[in-house]
Amino acid sequence: LYICFRTVEPLEYYRRFLKENCRPDGRELGEFRATTVNIGSITTADGSALVKLGNTTVICGVKAELAAPAVDSANKGYIVPNVELPSLCSTRFRSGPPGEEAQAASQFIADVIENSQIIAKEDLCIANGKLAWVLYCDIICLDYDGNILDASAFALLAALKNVQLPSVTINEETGLSEVNLKQKNPLIIRKHPVATSFAIFDDTLLIVDPTAEEEDVATGTVTIVTDDEGRLCSVHKPGGSPLTGAKLQDCITRAVTRHKEVKKLIDKVIKSIKPK
Amino acid sequence: PPQMRGSRSKALPDRALVNCQYSMATFSTGERRRRPHGDRQASELALQLKQTFEAAILTCLYPRSQIDIYVQILQADGGEYCACVNAATLAVMDAGIPMRDYVCASSAGLAEDTPLADLSSPEEAAGGPRLVLALLPASGQIALLQLSARLHQERLEAALEAAGEACRALHAVLDRVVRERLQEVTALLGD
Repeated sequence: LYICFRTVEPLEYYRRFLKENCRPDGRELGEFRATTVNIGSITTADGSALVKLGNTTVICGVKAELAAPAVDSANKGYIVPNVELPSLCSTRFRSGPPGEEAQAASQFIADVIENSQIIAKEDLCIANGKLAWVLYCDIICLDYDGNILDASAFALLAALKNVQLPSVTINEETGLSEVNLKQKNPLIIRKHPVATSFAIFDDTLLIVDPTAEEEDVATGTVTIVTDDEGRLCSVHKPGGSPLTGAKLQDCITRAVTRHKEVKKLIDKVIKSIKPK
Repeated sequence: PPQMRGSRSKALPDRALVNCQYSMATFSTGERRRRPHGDRQASELALQLKQTFEAAILTCLYPRSQIDIYVQILQADGGEYCACVNAATLAVMDAGIPMRDYVCASSAGLAEDTPLADLSSPEEAAGGPRLVLALLPASGQIALLQLSARLHQERLEAALEAAGEACRALHAVLDRVVRERLQEVTALLGD
């Protein structure tokens, strides 16, 4: 009987739970779903990570290619993120060119990379004006159950930490590049941005890490990206119901706590794959 | 996972339409693939998957509807079609859509008269004859058989046998997994 209620009147259903300060899946308002990370599973990619946030599953593969740097920034490489929400992850996505949500997510990830300076583009340069690395970061959602932005950002960070770039030298005589696949160096990750998303209900209540259902009934969403020293990288609030300054401050505090949790998890996973 | 959806334009009056889409992640092969969906290999494989599953799924039970099967390759190391078929079989079972039988697929080849089952990417590239077999294990019926490169008629038996063996072994694994999952699910529902 409660399943009928849930489908017919989802908002009321949620309101009843929120009044008791909890959610249908048993979580508290400020609790994240169980997060699992698996690094380095795709051997054909230069770096990869699979992140599961509850049921939301996202995989990120990084492939590095060589290219000539742009004329106006001759000492910088490129990072090209792309988020794909294929039809197989949810019935809401039809096959064809990338929809609005996929494009918005891609842009969000690009902004995170830009704002947080996660990788200094200068590090990707091999020879000024001649050769630089291009990192193609492809993020594919395998199962969509809400909070795709957090999962994608996390997957991206984990995959980049896993990337090993072969050393490239330029032969002085021929001017051609020689790639040494045997000697690989890890990528220098300067900052560790972590995204925390909230859904807003009825202009007042905030819940962390919304599932797909919660996102549908929510009146707005906020995503906060924090950095290592508790600094704010970006705040993403695409419209939706208005939020008071105090509430925003609460979100920021929660985001900083989440950052610590995520950082611990990533470090643990990286350490566990070290012996190779 | 396959989803049931009402299809407006191509509805068949007496059975369900099976629609397959095959996609490879850009990081799945050694060199980055630029076009995950539209290329010829993807279309060919999607069509083969569609034909295989039209034979296996009891489509007459769902008139005027469409069953969409989406397969995404995360890493390609030979035998992609076979992996797709096996995965799709499990997914269709998971969705509760009735099928005639499991569809198990395996590739096989010959290297100097020795039959090899389940070729990996370097073995496929070596240029020997290659056989792809999709089998319905209980009845022993062949859903799809594809042979590339020249093979002597006498050798065909050996290669077929090798592929058949592999399929049957796979069938045992798939069956076990499905039963375990079923037990899990009924235990959860029972609580």
